[in-house]
Amino acid sequence: MKYIYLYDGTFNNLLNTIEILLKEKKRPENILSNINYQDNLFNKCVTITNSNTNKYRIGVYRYSKKIYNIIYAVFLSCEKNKELIIYYFLLNAFKHGEKIIYLTNLNCVSKSIKIARYVHHEAHKMKGFIRFQELKNKSFFAIIEPTNNILPLIIHHFEQRLPNENWFIYDKKRDLINIYYNHHSYLVNFHIKNNSLLYSEDEKEYEKLWQTFFKTIGIEKRKNYQCQRNFMPKKYWNNLIEMRDEK
Amino acid sequence: MVKIGNHLFVTIVFFYYIINVVILMSKEEKLQILADSAKYDASCSSSGSHRKNNNGIGNASNCGICHSFASDGRCISLLKILLTNCCIFDCKYCLNRKSNNIKRAIFAPEEICEITINFYKRNYIEGLFLSSGIIKSPDYTMEKIIETITLLRKKYHFNGYIHAKAIPGCSDYLLKKLGLLVDRLSVNIELPSKSSLKLLAPNKDSDKISHIMENVKNNQSSNFVPAGQSTQIIIGASNDNDYEIMKRSEGLYNNYRLKRVFYSAYISINKDKNLPSLISPPLKREHRLYQADFLLRYYHYHVDDLLSKENPSFNVLLDPKANYAINHLNEFPKEVNKVSYNDLLKIPGIGPKSAQRIIKSRKFYTLTMEDLKKMGVVLKRAKYFILCNGKYFLSQEYFQKKFILDNLVLEDKSASDTSSKQLQLSL
Repeated sequence: MKYIYLYDGTFNNLLNTIEILLKEKKRPENILSNINYQDNLFNKCVTITNSNTNKYRIGVYRYSKKIYNIIYAVFLSCEKNKELIIYYFLLNAFKHGEKIIYLTNLNCVSKSIKIARYVHHEAHKMKGFIRFQELKNKSFFAIIEPTNNILPLIIHHFEQRLPNENWFIYDKKRDLINIYYNHHSYLVNFHIKNNSLLYSEDEKEYEKLWQTFFKTIGIEKRKNYQCQRNFMPKKYWNNLIEMRDEK
Repeated sequence: MVKIGNHLFVTIVFFYYIINVVILMSKEEKLQILADSAKYDASCSSSGSHRKNNNGIGNASNCGICHSFASDGRCISLLKILLTNCCIFDCKYCLNRKSNNIKRAIFAPEEICEITINFYKRNYIEGLFLSSGIIKSPDYTMEKIIETITLLRKKYHFNGYIHAKAIPGCSDYLLKKLGLLVDRLSVNIELPSKSSLKLLAPNKDSDKISHIMENVKNNQSSNFVPAGQSTQIIIGASNDNDYEIMKRSEGLYNNYRLKRVFYSAYISINKDKNLPSLISPPLKREHRLYQADFLLRYYHYHVDDLLSKENPSFNVLLDPKANYAINHLNEFPKEVNKVSYNDLLKIPGIGPKSAQRIIKSRKFYTLTMEDLKKMGVVLKRAKYFILCNGKYFLSQEYFQKKFILDNLVLEDKSASDTSSKQLQLSL
């Protein structure tokens, strides 16, 4: 009998659930986050652990950093069956060891790697596409709406880059915000109303300067909007200061 | 009396100029003029530097980050501006030549710093690209550039990426000083041969350019120009053919260990009897040169593999690598499960990344066409040139020059509009 297993939506809890499944050699029908799950008569669903400890997560990390990075990226993706993919990937990973990442003929491996690549690619793009706006209190605020939940992957980059500022990156889609205050990061769930922000006096001026620069730097005789959109898809334009008027 | 009047006139003009340019012009207007003058420089890469944040603001990202893409599809990663577009040179092709009647502006060092820091904090840019027209003398211009960048590094504690232009003819000690402040230095050779340089840029001296390159090469270290030097060649302004241009690039890579040579399709801005009048810039040719340039740097090709004196231009219909493969069909098809890394690289459509993946995976199992697809190898062109475990993707009799050529051209045509500038990603 196959069950649907529920977990609480956190990475720790997912891994703890998978640990028990692997230990007891149970094959799940599916693994789903109880946040998205809607009850239904025909499914049999179980929660097997509420544990949120990071012991097993650290275990996987110590086992192999490469494997850990892949499953973490898959976890952050928008893929529908990501939990099941992670389960099968880990099942095979413990069988084959680190060479698993080269066994791309296994479906779960090629899929995981593809998804992980996609997530990291979006994270890398977002490092460029984030636009901070200066608030009245001289801190910086950015809104993002990425396809995958890449916020945790880019925090380190900005901590290194702007260590002496206070800044916020807010994922509007997921109501997730990273607060960097006094050299410390806090990642929390929080909803912010768009019009509740007060910008500094300089903000308008620099936005204007940036728009001027952006318009000027493109060479008229080489214009290629198709190419521009390929690299900078429309889904990001809402939060790009230079593009938001184009939409 | 005439002399005094003349003197007075010059002084008045000078003050009028100062008031107009330095005081009355708004920051925005200056930015507009000086970005407009800088935009014809192709380089905008921000990669190759490991500069760390030193309790100030910013750091460099080794892989480079594109922050935006302009209307021409080129990546914007640096604030690309000139210190001034006033210039004592009169290069025929240049917008800023002294004989052009255009608006001139000068940035004060503080202004550049303020804009850079504020753009950087808002994550608009990865750093600064500072170039300049030549005012008074090369040394004076260099001193101004150094002053600006020193201010940015020391007063504003900026540790982001800085790309600066070296001015040919400057003193060695100024070059040394500048090199210690920036991540990348570049000096543009603009025209591939001495004769065309003489014709179109009479004030430039190719010996002075190579002197700077030599100097940078000899001093390069983790403190001095850590991201290396680059240069730019204009395509289509002179009569030089692809073979000569590529030969020049190859020489630059070998002799001066350049990181990049950029190619910039000539855009006619000025009218001159020595310049061609092109309606649209030769973008396709530029694209082929970039492709060939990548073959030199990452695929171990030599220019003589691709072109020759008798056949000095690239095929417009086919990319240089596919063209090479078609002309050396006896080396193909290659068995992906057996051939060496370097041989894998010779297959059109397979790059260093795909080749690495193939090498690593085939240790553990025998690859089929399906497996290649799964690991993300693009087979659009590759499929004509490979065997997977002894199998060709069609029946073996289709492995013929004409069949492959027709299909490649067809596929290239349907995709050419969208893919023509894909190269930008790895700038």
